[in-house]
Amino acid sequence: MKRTLLASVALGVAGVGPAAAADRTEVLETYVNIAEAAYGDSLVTAQRLGAAVDALLANPSAEALQAARTAWLQARVPYMQTEVFRFGNPIVDDWEGKVNAWPLDEGLIDYVDAAYGGPTDENEYATVNVIAHPSFTLSGEEVDASRITPELLANTLHEADDIEANVATGYHAIEFLLWGQDLNGTGPGAGNRPWTDYAAGDACTHGNCDRRGEYLKAATDLLIADLGDMAGAWAEGGAARASVLSDETTGVATILTGMGSLSYGELAGERMRLGLMLNDPEEEQDCFSDNTYNSHFYDGLGMWNIYHGQYVRVDGTLISGASVSDLVAEADGEVDVGLRADLDATVMALLRIKTTAEAGMSYDQMLDRNNAAGGALLMGAVDALVTQTKSIERAVSALELDTIQFEGSESLDNPDAVFQ
Amino acid sequence: MMCRKTAAALCLALWPLAAAAAGGDDLDLVAKAVDVQILPGYETLAAASAELDAAAAEDCDPEGETLRDAYNSAFDAWIGVSHLRFGPSETDNRAFALAFWPDDRGASRKTLAGLIREEDPVVNDAESFGNVSIAARGFFALEMMLYDGSLSEGDPGYSCRLVRAITRDIATTAAAIEADWDPAYAELILHPGPENPIYLSDLEALQELYKALMTGLEFTADSRLGRPLGTFEKPRPKRAEAWRSGRSLRDVQISIAATSALAEILASDVPEETRAPLDVAVERAGRLAGRLDDPIFTGVETPTGRLRIEVLQQAVNDVRDASQAVIGPALGVSQGFNSLDGD
Repeated sequence: MKRTLLASVALGVAGVGPAAAADRTEVLETYVNIAEAAYGDSLVTAQRLGAAVDALLANPSAEALQAARTAWLQARVPYMQTEVFRFGNPIVDDWEGKVNAWPLDEGLIDYVDAAYGGPTDENEYATVNVIAHPSFTLSGEEVDASRITPELLANTLHEADDIEANVATGYHAIEFLLWGQDLNGTGPGAGNRPWTDYAAGDACTHGNCDRRGEYLKAATDLLIADLGDMAGAWAEGGAARASVLSDETTGVATILTGMGSLSYGELAGERMRLGLMLNDPEEEQDCFSDNTYNSHFYDGLGMWNIYHGQYVRVDGTLISGASVSDLVAEADGEVDVGLRADLDATVMALLRIKTTAEAGMSYDQMLDRNNAAGGALLMGAVDALVTQTKSIERAVSALELDTIQFEGSESLDNPDAVFQ
Repeated sequence: MMCRKTAAALCLALWPLAAAAAGGDDLDLVAKAVDVQILPGYETLAAASAELDAAAAEDCDPEGETLRDAYNSAFDAWIGVSHLRFGPSETDNRAFALAFWPDDRGASRKTLAGLIREEDPVVNDAESFGNVSIAARGFFALEMMLYDGSLSEGDPGYSCRLVRAITRDIATTAAAIEADWDPAYAELILHPGPENPIYLSDLEALQELYKALMTGLEFTADSRLGRPLGTFEKPRPKRAEAWRSGRSLRDVQISIAATSALAEILASDVPEETRAPLDVAVERAGRLAGRLDDPIFTGVETPTGRLRIEVLQQAVNDVRDASQAVIGPALGVSQGFNSLDGD
């Protein structure tokens, strides 16, 4: 501390040299700039997906379906790098369910395999199949679904009956419409929806191709609109940007909260360890497309980005600036070195999963209880994420942010909620 | 499948900046927690689980009284330590293997039914059984085998072997946790320092316990009580914990007692006046849980029954608030990140 102080004074006198004392406001500026860029990239790539979907619906073919799938995969790259903004920023967290809700009872949307089963104790609407039914009853009310519109998806179908598995919108609904169910269990292979599910006239397979196309179009339009909202929230004058910049201390705490909550409870716990312990091939985030390894990898990269204050845009431009790492290094060099090493180790562990998947062993195959090597790869990443969380907590202490309580309980934040 | 949408929000509660930092005696609190709660708790769990295994070996009849009593004793012991989710309980996913719940998608029924249908020989080998899905292991899988009639259609001989595989696995897992705690992990948490691979400072050891306390209370309020409550329009009694064996309220009572005991240990150096809100909250939560007459929370479907459960839930949240207000500043620790963060 003393050394820093002296250094600042010396610089003040000399008036030259690199900015030694990292400025919290500059760190927050970098953070919101990266958010603006990454959500902007998510919007641009979703618009490309929209164009590919339009092309598919105008002229259905195997090539057009494949092009739409490729556009979806590309759209996931920037989006998953934004997940680190989710926790800690209520504006993002409240919105996120619209675009990235998972897992879903996909029978709500379209036809499913017989093995999927019928309605469950938890969800009586698990097999509504809105694409095949222009009208149906939902919570006692007759729903007119003769036209499948973004409004129908967002306001009526999404989370119907207060069931979170009723996911009607977002990346994973679109993923299901592009790939279909992955019926290969823990064996190789992803979903294999035929392009003829979108074909006209007699070539149409599984019925209702026009309505399926209408659904795909509505869901894609909605995704673009929702991402546009979020990109706007981080742009100059946007609410999310203003909120972060309004207070230096809580702003920096928000950054580390996002990293810690995503590392531990979300990615290491909910998304990775649980699936492994259950050996359940449906417990993978991008389960229709078998793209889970990428989603996890880009989550990890997103955390690395934020700590280092760097992000490579989809057009190749590097955004960089003052970082949390600079702040932590100044407060406690050892903690910074430790956290940087942990973030590297996590990215490496996730990269090992990615390379293995790209070489032919998909994520769901790694969940097979007899696949010891695959399981070890996944556990390697879980362990790295858990280790990284401890270092994030140390960074919180080093920056003396630990007078701030991290909380995630609706009943505590809003005690009245339980009586509503 | 079902989506776990988020409810996480950042709540900023700035503590008085004058809060005392951890003093030299705080390790005594860790020692007290280890000696009074952790080691005895895991010893009881290991012993009760061994008895459960012996009972199943003796007679695997799902309706047998000895087996069911042994199941309940071991389950009691588990709930008493279920908030201590760190160290040995997390190695090899042991705690998950003992208790996979909540089970939103009915994975336990599905996985057990699959084993029974295929008469999967994995039940014949204890080591291999340790690799099956956690949905088919532990107390909740055993509950399904003992209390849910829908799984009784297969070959009774196979079901018996499956029950024995589950109890043997529970006993092995419980013994492994106890063996790791005593003495190796106890030594670790009692001697923090720069050379310690896990706890670099006294504060980190204390934070571990504080985090366990807060996460345990959160789980009881949000999951054990919150899940069956559902919403007023749509209560969800079948989402109660262990309702098949009639244990839902019992689990809440035991967990409140265990977390309250840990809270009182961590607050034991706090002057009586300062800790009064915690003492009041603990006493109230225990009292409300003790007099609630609704073993599996079917009351969530009636306005009066629902209110009683909501009041209890609020009382558990009050213990959490009081712990945060009293213990956090006294020890100079924050909750940090926990497994309930995220969705």
